[in-house]
Amino acid sequence: MEVGNKTMDDWRMGEFGTAPDQDVAKAPRNRKQEILSAREDYRSQFYKHYRKEAEDYDREFMEKHDEDLNTTLIFVSFRRCSGVRMLTRSQAGLFSAVTSAFIIDVQSQLRPDPNDETVALLRVLIYKVDNTTFGNDPPALPQWTGPPHMVVQVQAILYASLAASLLSALLAMLGKQWLNRYVSTDLRGTAVERSQNRQRKLDGIITWYFDYVMEALPLMLQAALLLLGCALSRYLWEVNPTVASVILTVTAFGIFFYIFIIAAGAASENCPYQTPGSQALRYLRRRVQRVFFLAASVVVSTFRRSEVFKTVVNNFEQYHPWWSGDNIKPFLKVTALEIPRAFATDAYRLGRATVRLFSTLRHLGPAMATLSVSLARKAHNRLRGVPSTPGQGLDQRTTTLDFRCISWILQTSLDKAVHLLTLKHLVTTPTLASVNPTLVADCFDVFIGCIKGVDNHKVVIAQGLEELATVSALCFFNLVSHLLVVDPTSSILEGARQRCLEVLPAYAYFNGHEPYYTMNTACCLLVPKWRLLYFQWSDYKPSTNEHSMVAKSLVKFARFEYQGAPQAKVPRLILRFALHSLSLYPPPPTSIIADCLSIVAIDLGCDVPDTGAMTSDERWVCI
Amino acid sequence: MNQISRLIIQKVKTLAEAEVPDELRSKRKAITTLLPYAIWLEQDGQPEILDTFLHAVRASKTLYFTWSRANQFAGTLFSEASPRAIVLASPYILRKAPGRDDMVQRWAAAASVVPYTEEVAQSVVEALLQIAFNHELLPHLTNIWSWLTKRPSLPPVSMGRSLGIHPNTINVVRELGDTEILKSYLLLVWSEWNRIWYKGSFDEMCASTREDFGGIGMGHHRADLIQRLDHILVQLDRGLEYLKQHNPDLNEDSVRRMGDQYGELRNILLGMNIEAIARTSYPMVILPCILTETDVHRISHNVYVCAASPMSITPRV
Repeated sequence: MEVGNKTMDDWRMGEFGTAPDQDVAKAPRNRKQEILSAREDYRSQFYKHYRKEAEDYDREFMEKHDEDLNTTLIFVSFRRCSGVRMLTRSQAGLFSAVTSAFIIDVQSQLRPDPNDETVALLRVLIYKVDNTTFGNDPPALPQWTGPPHMVVQVQAILYASLAASLLSALLAMLGKQWLNRYVSTDLRGTAVERSQNRQRKLDGIITWYFDYVMEALPLMLQAALLLLGCALSRYLWEVNPTVASVILTVTAFGIFFYIFIIAAGAASENCPYQTPGSQALRYLRRRVQRVFFLAASVVVSTFRRSEVFKTVVNNFEQYHPWWSGDNIKPFLKVTALEIPRAFATDAYRLGRATVRLFSTLRHLGPAMATLSVSLARKAHNRLRGVPSTPGQGLDQRTTTLDFRCISWILQTSLDKAVHLLTLKHLVTTPTLASVNPTLVADCFDVFIGCIKGVDNHKVVIAQGLEELATVSALCFFNLVSHLLVVDPTSSILEGARQRCLEVLPAYAYFNGHEPYYTMNTACCLLVPKWRLLYFQWSDYKPSTNEHSMVAKSLVKFARFEYQGAPQAKVPRLILRFALHSLSLYPPPPTSIIADCLSIVAIDLGCDVPDTGAMTSDERWVCI
Repeated sequence: MNQISRLIIQKVKTLAEAEVPDELRSKRKAITTLLPYAIWLEQDGQPEILDTFLHAVRASKTLYFTWSRANQFAGTLFSEASPRAIVLASPYILRKAPGRDDMVQRWAAAASVVPYTEEVAQSVVEALLQIAFNHELLPHLTNIWSWLTKRPSLPPVSMGRSLGIHPNTINVVRELGDTEILKSYLLLVWSEWNRIWYKGSFDEMCASTREDFGGIGMGHHRADLIQRLDHILVQLDRGLEYLKQHNPDLNEDSVRRMGDQYGELRNILLGMNIEAIARTSYPMVILPCILTETDVHRISHNVYVCAASPMSITPRV
């Protein structure tokens, strides 16, 4: 039987243009070496661009945080005062000075005043000399009973303010140290290793919420200011209410203004007065809204299903117009008679539901315990920066970092050429075992970026971006099929599903483009509705490379589906693919036929040897 | 790949031989998916998968075994497949295949060159009966109709027999003007395994038996038809349980109606026999048949009836 003689790796090497065309007659070993060298070529080129992007990004990152930390330090103390910023720093440094001055001033009131004792002794001496000086009120020596309550309160608040400002200064200094460590260049290792190390540090910054810590510094300073205002108001109120009222007014104005800017920032994302409080409030608002609407819908639907509601509505309809003289009496009578029975039915149903709920909760304990352990393990792995999948090793760690680098550059770079190079590197990665799930969204975004528009339900790819669209579609498909196997309940998949439905218009199809198979298959795997409505295999003859890639992934998926539930069938979509592939003339390459037969065998329940774990190179050698 | 093929063949054979049609039916999409590959391999002289497929289809005892998605690839498959593969696969993909004109011609050409076997004849007749009722090309492909005269045994569950009783098909066969083909057609479509669903078909069949098989010269054709009907009625008398073992789709109502329909057809043929005998004054021998008491009374007064076998009728003294 005549078969095609191109494989996925032919395409990987030939069509990307950076590797020379392959001679199909060459020995498999040579081919494999060439494939490996081409892969290394993509990898090195990718990291070359990565370094460049990373340098730009790190420079901006450092500038932003360094400036913030400097401002914080200056606001707290006179440290590092120099140059043209002297005036600002002098003004800002007043905060620490003022706090300290007040503390010193109030500090004396925490101890007994020696002058008071001297005055009392003098009064006693005078009384001894002339006991008529003070009338019938003989002077007594004062007894120290501790500082006034108000002074203790004021001093405590002032110290809290000072502690907050000093703590923020400490954090700011530490922050500068952390940043210096982040940008420090490794002296050892290849460019790839150094890039991956940098990515590891950047991931750590995200995982350990570095941004939130940095955001907390201004918050601490704002809290310190608030405390100072409160302490001043309280202290001066005892000294002179008139003077205190001025401070109170200013403090209250400050508080109200701050609340206002938080509310404004939370109400509108376009508002320039954004603070961390605004963001938190916005997040909470969304959550509360969701819970409220959910609860409201549950209550309304429960009420509508209640027997009482149905009885009343039925009677309304039966005795329409119920308000008329003839109908009102029977309507009220029948309703009054039926309501108790309906109420009893509802009470019975409610009781039954409650009993069921409690019996369910009884079984919930062990499930929750298992879930907690699983979540704790995941969190632990995440904080350690390692994948949660078993079988970790040095290679897997490197691959994980590789995927993170790819994901990062897809998210940060706007250069299509860099995207293309990155995706070529991704598509030639031999295994997706420790892939970063966020890459699904990244690849989809890149593909969507290649779409010019939709003409009569047909997706049109922008001119010059065909190759990028093809590669991004392939990556997207590979990742989706992989994730569907390893983690079908992943929130990333759900997000991708939503994105598909939101971004791609209804009835959109990809006919006439190279990624037709891949995007259609990916959409169909993701969105069950797509399977029935939009997919026609017969319209398109895929290129060997695209075909091979899809076949390989679908075999893996079919095996997973069947292994997941032995009585289950392989999805019909996959069988349709196999049918279409086997019906093509000339027949596809042997590897694709083998994949299609594997799909059939899996559906029939045969014990098919697992070839899905083979790498592309091994696969090629087998062919 | 060979290993996977062997696994598949073994599995499908096991399913087919286990005589569990439900399980086989539940895997019909996967088995249909094999069909294109089986056709390619048959062309290369490896008919194992195609034979396994056909075996599975027969064992499934269902009219709709083939996955309809396979029909859209019929054009591609027929363009390159061997005549034997075309003939054997056509009953399962030709009926609903789009743009069938060229495929029908290819199929007819393949049928004309493929060596005769019982299996081939069965497939040709199956496909012919499936597509005959709504295809205008077939009346012109006269050679293909001669396959009916080979009278292959169709399985109890046969899509060809079910669709072959369409009124249009009867008309087409009648218009051919060949009594032998018409008789063969009726012998094939009359069966204890399916009733005559269309009212028009039954009327057309009644008309055909009266008009096309009347006269003394058609006695042996009528005898063949009556023999077939007798066989059917005997089979129907064995009861629903027996019939359902071979065709699970049958039910009590169908069996009762079949008894009525085939009984009526038989009566018509017998009546025609008697009329034919009544018109002649010569002693004659007709092939074995069973005459009821009513039939005897209908025979004219100058005819003797002797209940011997073979029945001989001699002029009354």
